[in-house]
Amino acid sequence: MFVARSIAADHRDLIHDVSFDFHGRRMATCSSDQSVKVWDKSENGDWHCTASWKTHSGSVWRVTWAHPEFGQVLASCSFDRTAAVWEEIVGESNDKLRGQSHWVKRTTLVDSRTSVTDVKFAPKHMGLMLATCSADGVVRIYEAPDVMNLSQWSLQHEISCKLSCSCISWNPSSSRAHSPMIAVGSDDNSPNILAKVQIYEYNENTRKYAKAEALMTVTDPVHDIAFAPNLGRSFHILAVATKDVRIFTLKPLRKELTSSGGLTKFEIHIVAQFDNHNSQVWRVSWNITGTVLASSGDDGCVRLWKANYMDNWKCTGILKGNGSPVNGSSQQGIFNASLGSANTSLQNSLNGSSASR
Amino acid sequence: MEKMARVTTALGGNALTGRTMFCHLDAPANAISVCRDAAQVVVAGRNIFKIYSIEEDQFVEKLNLRVGRKPSLNFSCADVVWHQMDENLLATAATNGVVVTWNLGKPSRNKQDQLFTEHKRTVNKVCFHPTEVYMLLSGSQDGYMKCFDLRKKDSVSTFSGQSESVRDVQFSIRDYFTFAATFENGNVQLWDIRRPDRYERMFTAHNGPVFCCDWHPEDRGWLATGGRDKMVKVWDMNTTRAKEIYCVQTIASVARVKWRPECKHHIATCSMMVDHNIYVWDVRRPFIPSAMFEEHKDVTTGIVWRHLHDPYFLLSGSKDSTLYQHIFKDASQPIDRANPEGLCYSLYGDLAFAAKESLISSDSNRKPYIGDRRHPIFFKRKLDPTEQFEYISSSSALSVFETDMESGSMDWFVHTAKQYALAGRPLAELCDHNAKVAKGLDRNQVAQTWTMLRIIYSSLGTVSSANLNHSMGKGSATLPLMNSFNLKDIPSGLGSESRLDRSKGENRTENILMDSSSTLINNEDNEETEGSDVPADYLLGDVEADEDDLYMMDHENPHAEEQEYSLPQEAFPLRHEIVDNPSALDHLQDKADSPHVSGNEAETVSLTPVESFSLISISHSLYENRLPTDFFNPIVRDTLLFYAEQGDVQTAVSVLIVLGDRIRKEIDEQTQEHWYTSYIDLLQRFQLWNISNEVIKLSTCRAINCLNQASTTLHINCSNCKRPMSNRGWICDRCRQCASMCAVCHHVVKGLFVWCQGCSHGGHLQHIMKWLETSSHCPAGCGHLCWRARYRRSSAAPWSGPTPPSPTPSSCSGSPSPGRSSCAGSPTTRHSLFLRGQ
Repeated sequence: MFVARSIAADHRDLIHDVSFDFHGRRMATCSSDQSVKVWDKSENGDWHCTASWKTHSGSVWRVTWAHPEFGQVLASCSFDRTAAVWEEIVGESNDKLRGQSHWVKRTTLVDSRTSVTDVKFAPKHMGLMLATCSADGVVRIYEAPDVMNLSQWSLQHEISCKLSCSCISWNPSSSRAHSPMIAVGSDDNSPNILAKVQIYEYNENTRKYAKAEALMTVTDPVHDIAFAPNLGRSFHILAVATKDVRIFTLKPLRKELTSSGGLTKFEIHIVAQFDNHNSQVWRVSWNITGTVLASSGDDGCVRLWKANYMDNWKCTGILKGNGSPVNGSSQQGIFNASLGSANTSLQNSLNGSSASR
Repeated sequence: MEKMARVTTALGGNALTGRTMFCHLDAPANAISVCRDAAQVVVAGRNIFKIYSIEEDQFVEKLNLRVGRKPSLNFSCADVVWHQMDENLLATAATNGVVVTWNLGKPSRNKQDQLFTEHKRTVNKVCFHPTEVYMLLSGSQDGYMKCFDLRKKDSVSTFSGQSESVRDVQFSIRDYFTFAATFENGNVQLWDIRRPDRYERMFTAHNGPVFCCDWHPEDRGWLATGGRDKMVKVWDMNTTRAKEIYCVQTIASVARVKWRPECKHHIATCSMMVDHNIYVWDVRRPFIPSAMFEEHKDVTTGIVWRHLHDPYFLLSGSKDSTLYQHIFKDASQPIDRANPEGLCYSLYGDLAFAAKESLISSDSNRKPYIGDRRHPIFFKRKLDPTEQFEYISSSSALSVFETDMESGSMDWFVHTAKQYALAGRPLAELCDHNAKVAKGLDRNQVAQTWTMLRIIYSSLGTVSSANLNHSMGKGSATLPLMNSFNLKDIPSGLGSESRLDRSKGENRTENILMDSSSTLINNEDNEETEGSDVPADYLLGDVEADEDDLYMMDHENPHAEEQEYSLPQEAFPLRHEIVDNPSALDHLQDKADSPHVSGNEAETVSLTPVESFSLISISHSLYENRLPTDFFNPIVRDTLLFYAEQGDVQTAVSVLIVLGDRIRKEIDEQTQEHWYTSYIDLLQRFQLWNISNEVIKLSTCRAINCLNQASTTLHINCSNCKRPMSNRGWICDRCRQCASMCAVCHHVVKGLFVWCQGCSHGGHLQHIMKWLETSSHCPAGCGHLCWRARYRRSSAAPWSGPTPPSPTPSSCSGSPSPGRSSCAGSPTTRHSLFLRGQ
């Protein structure tokens, strides 16, 4: 079972993003009140706010953690057209600020002319890189050539997506067979039938990002997009939050089968599509193994999705935002012991059914 | 009052219509002003001074006021204002310091009326009195404000702010005699028009210049100011001290502020640099604009509401030489694009969820969602006060959904990682152990996989363990662990094996029946090729065994240096042999699995194999004896691929490690590397540094193997003089002493150093433990009763763990970020932790 632990966030406006760090022990929230808060988990599981500071002069849309190998580093992006990189300073603690950690701004990325809607650090094996996307449809990829110097970021790539961008996701695969890849979602709501999810892949030959695919079936505004943790899979799983939840698999076709252009071709399948939120879906998030997807929508619920052994995705749980139980989740019994794999403990507990093993 | 009533009527009878539209101007605009009938707009700039009429769907140029041959600086306007009572009366502020009035009623082409050349520098602002036709006020860069009576040639009074340049002057709408002036030094002054000697009130409103101000059209006490500090502030002037009641933070310096008609809390702003957009804010929600007009390509210089009582039409002029009419329903709403929810899955399966409160409160979810958020209030002509209230009270609820302990979502991963045995034992045992672990965690499928692997690759597990015992004297000495457990563990292992065999019997028969016929023929060849492999392996093992024989002898003798020997093994990749060795052994046994059991173990063991065979069909097992293990490789490979594709990279990697060479060639290097990196990354996420290091050590991929060696630096300081030691040896250059000697063997301890906290003597872990078994005093002869200390503390505490006092790894520089101490798993830390694990 899930136990809801309510936290008095004390943000003065909407919270737009929450983000756990690499080890799951810290959490960052960002809000329209222009601030970011960092929460640390105590021994007994309580979350304590250890830092809260004004980060931008506009709504902060997203906050994200860098790999801890680079230090305790956060990136935030904002309506004020900037993205910023923050680093926690450990050391002499001020008496009156005991228990509060200190975060300093290492850099401000000011290249965008419009609201920066998302910021994401690249997977660790690529080095210290981050990507931003902005409402004017430009994805920018920055790199800190010296990982010790977080105040120097050079703009490596500018990808023009033509459509107002709302979200990005790096392909987390660490395989050498998979070139760096980034998926971009657009919340452009003009009545057109352009693909709202585009996938860009790094081309070793041209040293540029080029559009590899576009998910033509997604034509509604996209609010969030997330690659599942790869964990050794040969293919990629992509979740898209639009007016419904969609899950795609992208299977790279073997290089020799594709043209010599260097771009990978993908065999794209939509493996699931759910409109149970009845309205806009705002967020999607994968569990660490990429086997359970959580989505949240305008209905104020979090829904959990999981594939069974037949690769059929089903709802395995509904969580109400205020912690109250949701009745009418009628998916009990779909899952049974045939799932076999160990990851079943989650949805079994959610269903309240103890699968006989 | 009378005037206002008239206007409302006019509006009521003739409501504004129109659409978002624009027209190109010839030159950048500096300011715009609208005629009181809302049908005409005047645009003024350095090179433009024109009047446009606002038609249904276009702007039409009505009049160009720049006439005459030679361009006069008087036409270069910084500001323009259209009198709100007299449709023919306009005033402009020229950049050369002249205040000009214009009378549209003049019959000549030149409408210029009066010229006041009193200011020394640019006039920034002109303002007509709202009810007095002939009263005009100006504010200039020279720091003076002047009041003009249009019936006179000169100014009637001059106000000296005694501050700096005046940026804005505004007559109060309700107080006849009052006007506000803003200054470049951040001050705002209130003046009484009758008292030019000094201001009534002054306060500092902003950090840096205050560029603009606007009196609230309804609330007489409210004054909004905007400054270079990017703030818009609303002041309540009714109290004796000006009180800041609202503060809006924008993203660029604020050039103009204009209260929105009919909407008490709404205010429009534009900026003078960087930002070209026009925002409309609800001052009660100061962080996010409620509407945004993004049409302009350059800085917006003038904004004005088209009609005093109409909140839906906004006109703007810009440096991009366009004049726009904005309609509210075409505005973009940043809040509409803003995500009202945040969601994140944590490592351990907890979910953090932040959502707008109205979305999750129980009553609002009964309502349809439409109309709540997607259609903010200004879509509607009628403003509903309750809705307005809801609109401003936006906050989010944050909660973390925690998975409880027993369902613990990711605990299985951690437990599995911790409990799996990956090397150091015969294959069959590893498989059985891992199967048991998996079964204990209710992972039946994985458990079965392990059992199958055991059957496939060492079907005669008992025989092999017998063989192992037989060869232990030579072969397994490289695996010191085995010495201890082999004897006592095997019997229990046998029991579980036979049980598992029974359960797996059917599976196996299936597999074998399936292909037995076709493979019988192949067997011969395979056997041969394998046979040719074996001697090499065997030889290798033999050579090692010779060395190890020596070690076995040393083992009896704790003073030998086997500690030193084993450390290099951990530090350098030459230990591949160790990893491969069990496989080589098993390989050997698979080949030689005709039951040539020898040695004194024969009696005890030989019973069991027979038993287990009898439980399965003997014929099958006979077939299987002939089957080369390669035969199953494709199946095993598919199994591993299956697990990987399912996201269970743990199983894939563990099997890969345990099977070693048997399966390695079946899976391409890149995939293996991918699995390893994924698994290691996952282990590090869970802060399982020891296991991750073990996996790195055991992996056979070159790229993985060097992971824990690359960019790891140990800085070693001498324990005596505390200075860095050279890399050449273990004797300090400066003090000529050997660092950290073992109190028992008097050799340098290079690895795990334990010492007594009581007397601080110590040495090799094994030596000290051995010593303490027989003696209770300190081996160094200091007389300290280390043994007693141990019991008094009732734990291993006094003999403290692996952080050696010397040589001290004083700091580690693990690329890429040594200095970032929060990186909990810097390579050195991991390394020493791993040592402790052993």
